[in-house]
Amino acid sequence: MDKIDLSRITLRPFKLEDADDFLLFAGDDQVTRYLRWKTLTSKEEALEHIKDVCINHPWRRSICIDDRSIGFVSIFPFSGDDRCRANFGFGVAVKYWGHGIATKAVKMAVPRFFVDFPDVARLEAFVDVDNKASKKVVEKAGFQKEGMLRKYAYHKGKLTDFVVYSFLSSDLPIVEP
Amino acid sequence: MEGTSPVESSKNEYSNLSLRPLDVSDIDDFMVWATDEKVTRFCTWEPYTNKEDGLNFIKNTVLPHPWFRAICLDNRPIGAISVTSNSGNDRCRGELGYVLASNYWGKGIVTRAVKMVADTIFEEWPHLERLEALVDVENVGSQKVLEKAGFSREGVLRKYCVLKGKSRDMVMFSLLSIDPRPQI
Repeated sequence: MDKIDLSRITLRPFKLEDADDFLLFAGDDQVTRYLRWKTLTSKEEALEHIKDVCINHPWRRSICIDDRSIGFVSIFPFSGDDRCRANFGFGVAVKYWGHGIATKAVKMAVPRFFVDFPDVARLEAFVDVDNKASKKVVEKAGFQKEGMLRKYAYHKGKLTDFVVYSFLSSDLPIVEP
Repeated sequence: MEGTSPVESSKNEYSNLSLRPLDVSDIDDFMVWATDEKVTRFCTWEPYTNKEDGLNFIKNTVLPHPWFRAICLDNRPIGAISVTSNSGNDRCRGELGYVLASNYWGKGIVTRAVKMVADTIFEEWPHLERLEALVDVENVGSQKVLEKAGFSREGVLRKYCVLKGKSRDMVMFSLLSIDPRPQI
């Protein structure tokens, strides 16, 4: 694929009309490998997921190129005593890997989220120790690596080490080189 | 208190130290540390001001808790230590917490209690792989306890929680079931 002009990348809420495009990445094991999602297998499942999960989600955005969905950014604030924190996740269709799209989308998402959720002080991303690509994305987007949490949780049945990264509202603005 | 045998300290120096369940009959001993603002400095809760609140805490939180023990000297509670449990993908993880009456600080009692918990919890909970503890960056005493008890310091989680209205950085410590444990 030719070099992609990153100004074509936008974020917006998901719509039911995204189902076919959604299936292209959510139905791909390579994309869902480090996500908690089960890989989707049909348009019906994609519609259901968009309706039940994406649209009702506190903050999930479609990563779009020319307004077509090619991925997602998902930020989930915790509740009660933990509401100062939110969990950060993302994914992009394999076809679009290697162009800096995820990094761009993350950089766009972070300040917008803090405007929408002013009570959240901390975004945290728990990245599988083997997920080199995602580590690079969050690092380039300005997240700070805090440490490695050994045997922190199960991922798809496997006891996993996670590297924890954070981005604080006080870390804004993201300074471009 | 049936069905849960006390954990006793084997080394001479702490032979009168034990862990056992806390009950409503322990309320007066509980109030000694629970009303002390030195003790609650790094706790999310404010010092207790009346016995009824203390009794409600024991009835509503302590008695149904997955793992809560009084730290006892000659069978009298002088503090408490607990491990939370999680479910689903997080079932491998439990969080350790502890509190001790301030006049018993500086004698290695909590370090000893933590070692006793580490020696029993992985057997009692075979599904537990990781015991973790989050300590305020300013709570140096508590960090030393965990280091002496063989925990690994994994990193500082910035603005991880809010304590008494202020964002706090917390140090994450962990002890895995497979980690070597310092001798009791």
